[in-house]
Amino acid sequence: MNYSAMRNFVRSVLTVLAFALTTVAANSQSGDIDSGEVVYVKRCLQCHGEEGDGLGPAAERLNPPPRDFTLGLFKIKTTAFDEDLPNDDDLLRMIRDGMPGTAMPGWGDMLSQKDMLDVVAYIKTFAELEEEPEIQLDFGTQIAISDESIAAGKKLFEQGDRCTECHGLEGKGDAIKKLKNDNGERTWPRNLTKPWTFRASNDPKDIFARISIGIPTTQMPSFADPKSSKKLSIEERWHVANYVNSLAKVENVVNPENFVIQAGRRDTGLPTTPDDEAWKDAPSSTFIMVPQIVAKQRFFLTANDTISARAFYDDKRIAIYLEWDDRTKSIPGDPKAASIADENLSEDAVAIQFPRIIPKGMEKPYFLMGSATNPVNLWRWSSGTTEQSENGTIIDAMGILDQQPRDDSSGLNTASSYKNGTWRVVMTRSLQTAGQENNLQFEEGRFVPVAFFAWDGSNGETGTAHAMTTWYWLQLKPAADSKPLIYAIIAALLTGAILMWWSWGAQSRARESAA
Amino acid sequence: MKIPRLLQAVVVIAGVYFGFLIVFDYLLGAVIPKSLLTMYMFFVAAGVFMVFTYDEEKTRELVAPVKALVEDPAKRGARNLVFTLIPLLIGYSVYSQLQPGFEAPVELRTIHPAPPSTAKIYGKRVNLLSLENPFRKVEKEDPEKFAALVSDGAAVYIKNCQYCHGDKLDGKGPYAEGLNPTPLNFQDIGTIAQLQESYLFWRITTGGPGLPKEAAPWISSMPVWQNFLSEEEIWKVILFLYDYTGHRPRSWEH
Repeated sequence: MNYSAMRNFVRSVLTVLAFALTTVAANSQSGDIDSGEVVYVKRCLQCHGEEGDGLGPAAERLNPPPRDFTLGLFKIKTTAFDEDLPNDDDLLRMIRDGMPGTAMPGWGDMLSQKDMLDVVAYIKTFAELEEEPEIQLDFGTQIAISDESIAAGKKLFEQGDRCTECHGLEGKGDAIKKLKNDNGERTWPRNLTKPWTFRASNDPKDIFARISIGIPTTQMPSFADPKSSKKLSIEERWHVANYVNSLAKVENVVNPENFVIQAGRRDTGLPTTPDDEAWKDAPSSTFIMVPQIVAKQRFFLTANDTISARAFYDDKRIAIYLEWDDRTKSIPGDPKAASIADENLSEDAVAIQFPRIIPKGMEKPYFLMGSATNPVNLWRWSSGTTEQSENGTIIDAMGILDQQPRDDSSGLNTASSYKNGTWRVVMTRSLQTAGQENNLQFEEGRFVPVAFFAWDGSNGETGTAHAMTTWYWLQLKPAADSKPLIYAIIAALLTGAILMWWSWGAQSRARESAA
Repeated sequence: MKIPRLLQAVVVIAGVYFGFLIVFDYLLGAVIPKSLLTMYMFFVAAGVFMVFTYDEEKTRELVAPVKALVEDPAKRGARNLVFTLIPLLIGYSVYSQLQPGFEAPVELRTIHPAPPSTAKIYGKRVNLLSLENPFRKVEKEDPEKFAALVSDGAAVYIKNCQYCHGDKLDGKGPYAEGLNPTPLNFQDIGTIAQLQESYLFWRITTGGPGLPKEAAPWISSMPVWQNFLSEEEIWKVILFLYDYTGHRPRSWEH
């Protein structure tokens, strides 16, 4: 067993132990309300508010907003669908592990088990939850993941538009009905291909619980409710859970170690449309996108959290393929798009950012659209309106507020497709251009800084309101040639010759002195 | 049995080399940059060579095996072997060095650059050496009022800073992973606990773009907070950062 395997093993043993211990402890004691209040005031109040109503100072900048404890309803619970009360263990879990995809962190590494149980006790006072829940969720017998189970789940998922109605054909949450929670706030169906945004996890057991109970305070219903026309048996719910688990993205996931998009050389025809099969041969690099919360006007509630890029080049041009999930195809002027859009509908857009010249040292332009002293090139694609078709524009940006679209962007070609909640866009430009001081010139083997921005026009994202990445790298991977081998042979022969000459000289000197 | 001096020299150099790797890569967990290691090893090799060639006899002893290998007709077999292996090794090293690299360029930056003595903040020139948190004295004078100031600071923090630096001030806010450099962890003993409040004031007000060049201002995503917050709000946030983490700010006396 090597070192890291051993470390992982020890870690998993410890996790299991810790879990066992916390479960035992949680079942055997309940918390102290007064001590819980002390912890709550220090750690929780800023988001959840003094009255537990979720109206802390950051409420309007958080999506989802902090939980309103006065309702006494919780999203992640394991009591039955017709039982409002959660188990203490459910609350403990949310506090200990946090809620992925939200601002709620896991507190297990900062608070003791006792502290967390005390907070559980205190939180329950906001809704005056005093009784214990009576009916637990019946998990039946778990059905293991298998191809048959997943296929059965897929059938049920699509049957009568049961899940696809909101979650879409590929589970990306794109079959839009305008959804809202019990407080009237807009909610979006989960993109089931992004398990890192699941509030609990994408373990089939957790998914089974969500399908069975629904998600309280949202429009996600219970499929265990016998009154539901779409209800499922326990066995069927396990199949759907296994299917949803299988939807997790495999290829377009963030690898935190990867900072480089490798553009392969392809002389057999550069793919310039997103549907070209050739893109399947290019490795995909996926990067995290975060809201533009750096410069005025800050925007906190972006819809998209990742973007994936691939690239190819030939002797003349480079083609960059971008792919990102977007629940809405935002075409201003289109009544259907307008009916789904949050506020004002604007175009969906994406931009690739490059420096004007490949930096010689490590200094790059400012990552957020450059500055007056060190401007950047933006290649911006926008989805178009009913009046104007989609188009690509080259922009000279000298900061987020100083962007000059060029009158002539004919050097940039774009093509796009939107399907089942995913945009795919290809941008193509020649490697070398005229106006060298204003346009990035690509060179084989050189590392070029690259960054991305994206706008979801149905989510109020326009202007400075958008998602962004930090700087990454794009490299035109040189095709293999024979140069290293030739130099290696020359070096070996030269060394051999020198050694022989040395030895020959030394031996003849030795002979002379002996004679 | 006496170990040949040439072998001794080789063992010493190899020992130092692996010592570096063990200390840096495994014990400290910070992989030593190749260029730095090469430089260190050059000096180590030069030093070992000087010690081992201190006088003529020692020098002779050192080079004796090499001399024998090259000259001695009886060592022909060994000579042929070594003289084949060395060119092959050199050829291989040239070959692998000429292979195109796919590793992203390494970027070094200073995390806590030395502050300037003065900085332009809120339109006026501020002397960072003498600058103090105007609310710090309240801590002793009126603990109740101080608690209220800290709580104000907490509200400013949650509304503006937690997205990156985290609810727990551990640098793991919801957007931290999408940023490079990653947001600072204030709980860590190596960050605000080592700094004066005036330093924090300078870093917060002028943000990423206000960094000196050695700290790579072009990649830091820290906003320029003087564009968003008042001077008072920033001093209150600083109170909160120290209060929540339990650290104390550095001062000239300490």
